[in-house]
Amino acid sequence: MKLLDFLHLKNISGQIAALVIASIIAIHLILAAIFLVSRPDQPDPTIDRGHAQFAAAVLLLGAAPAADRQRLFADVARAFPKLEVESLPPGPVPPAGDPEGLDLRSLHRRLDSRYRIFPLAHDEDRHKVGIALPDGAMISAKVLPDLRPRPFWIGPWVVTLLFAIISVSLLGLWAARALTAPLSSFAKAAESFSLNGAAAPLPERGPEEIRSVAKALNRMRERITTLIDDRTRMLAAISHDLRTPITRMRLRSEFIEDDVHRHRMMSDLDQMRSMLESVLSFLRNDRKLEAMTLTDIATTLQLVTDQFADMGHKVAYDGPEHAMAIVRPDDLSRSVTNLVENSVRFGAMATIRLRVSPDIVTIEVEDDGPGISDARKDVMLEPFVRGDEARNMDEAAGFGLGLSIAHTIVLAHGGKLCLNDREPHGLIVCIQLPVRQPNRQSAA
Amino acid sequence: MTTASPNILVVEDDRETRTLIAKYLRNNACNVATANDGREMARAMADHRVDLLILDVMLPGEDGLSLCRKIRAESQVPIIMLTARGEDVDRILGLEMGADDYLAKPFNPRELLARINAVLRRQAAAQTISTIHGVTALAFAGWRIDFRLRELRNPAGARVAMTSAEFDLLRALCERPGRVLSRDSLLDLTQGRNAGSFERSIDVLISRIRRKIEPDPQDATMIKTVRSGGYVFTPAVEAITVPINGLS
Repeated sequence: MKLLDFLHLKNISGQIAALVIASIIAIHLILAAIFLVSRPDQPDPTIDRGHAQFAAAVLLLGAAPAADRQRLFADVARAFPKLEVESLPPGPVPPAGDPEGLDLRSLHRRLDSRYRIFPLAHDEDRHKVGIALPDGAMISAKVLPDLRPRPFWIGPWVVTLLFAIISVSLLGLWAARALTAPLSSFAKAAESFSLNGAAAPLPERGPEEIRSVAKALNRMRERITTLIDDRTRMLAAISHDLRTPITRMRLRSEFIEDDVHRHRMMSDLDQMRSMLESVLSFLRNDRKLEAMTLTDIATTLQLVTDQFADMGHKVAYDGPEHAMAIVRPDDLSRSVTNLVENSVRFGAMATIRLRVSPDIVTIEVEDDGPGISDARKDVMLEPFVRGDEARNMDEAAGFGLGLSIAHTIVLAHGGKLCLNDREPHGLIVCIQLPVRQPNRQSAA
Repeated sequence: MTTASPNILVVEDDRETRTLIAKYLRNNACNVATANDGREMARAMADHRVDLLILDVMLPGEDGLSLCRKIRAESQVPIIMLTARGEDVDRILGLEMGADDYLAKPFNPRELLARINAVLRRQAAAQTISTIHGVTALAFAGWRIDFRLRELRNPAGARVAMTSAEFDLLRALCERPGRVLSRDSLLDLTQGRNAGSFERSIDVLISRIRRKIEPDPQDATMIKTVRSGGYVFTPAVEAITVPINGLS
């Protein structure tokens, strides 16, 4: 990135262009170096040296007048001893043809059609062939084996070229990845965006375009957080402020002479109060004000049971007399109270069960109401979702926060909450909590 | 038990609420004076005797918590705090500042009356172990009952859940160990006899407390039933003195 800054290549297009140009230049340089070193454009003199000498000697002998030929034989034998050139006794010219096992194509190319090559009958040496010269004289000579070029694919320049292509492609892939990596981190950040503000802002690094996208996303995140905060504050303020008029009305209701009206008003006010409390506790949930402490949760459940029994509901507790766990006692009590509130609202009776194992406590709140269909089970855990869908505020209605608050509290304890069916009808809300919190082993 | 009509000072900034509380308490045999803020409160307290103070947390000028701390530095007048917040932080803060009890708005007026009675009776029932200044908690048989935090912890240190009525009853019992207390006197010490029908009977509360603290609730050893009709708290009780935070 330092180099890119130095070259002022801040745009993603500039960086990609630079990458392409750099790759092309690199490949060209490597190829040019290979050509300069190994010169594949020039014929390798070693490859057909034997045939060239042979052809030259034969042409020399063929062109010479017959009288000079003896002297020329001696000269050729001296100059090219390896060819072993000899004159053959004159006679009928044998039929032309290539001897077995020799490739004489380059020889044919160099000698015109007046020269005929034929195999020798008395084959003491496979490499010796006979040649009929244009004037009918016949000579024999040895065809030196060609130096075969090495196979194409193991030539040093090919290996180098392959290496260069592979490494340049890898370099290109890496560079392209480095350019686009911020984009995938954006996707991840957008995916994990949550309203508790815990996630760190996106790093504003990389090419110009990426940086401006990161900046824009960070600004958007700030705006969303501010918006949510404002709404939360507004909801909290409304809920706070409503307490004063409700307090006044609660006091006023004490002066109502008519018993029936007084009781109805009181129960309306109680409903309003519990709705306000559920909103406030919902807004408070993610702040975790209460400290974790060792608690006898069996007594907490007994207390909830007793309070509902005192209000005339059929609620039973089934479990041990004492059970210790590290929890937030008031939060746990609120969570179970919410569940039992739902139970007695939709069913005739409720049972709170407690089972304890060394690591996990399981609390079940069971009712005989209509239950929740499988399709709606997940939705019911969301805030402001109510079982009856309709927004009519009948006597049994709440804001639809009870189950959601309970769920949030359980999650904050590192536990889980699930909704199960009861036979023949009804709902079992099952809460599982760890006995010890993982990050703090000792009790307070 | 105490004066026939206690003098109560209501400090609350909302005029309507203040008048309504005053009217309700007057209908229930209390003498009520009112104040809008800390200055009026100081004037009212200088003018005449105050048996109990009802103090709102949210006040213009100096807030209720700081007023509470100031009063505690000078006198032992019982204080019941009112707040619109009702969060645990406020509860603990209020009680650490030296308030005797705490009610969250919107409250049930009958419960306010019950709390007033309970606090006044506790104040009047002298020579209990915790009227010694600075006693904030009692210990018995490994258990610990903390009046400031209003919580009970078992010998293992675990918090045991209790309703407010259960807590007041257990407090009344362990402040008077070894003494036989009749149902009537327990009622007087806790809720007051005409507190209303919304509280459970003493017997029900005793059986609920037993289930929480007795090793064997069927064969009670801590809270024993006396045949003539009453209960006695048998374990030895020890006072725990912790200086109140923030007291100058």
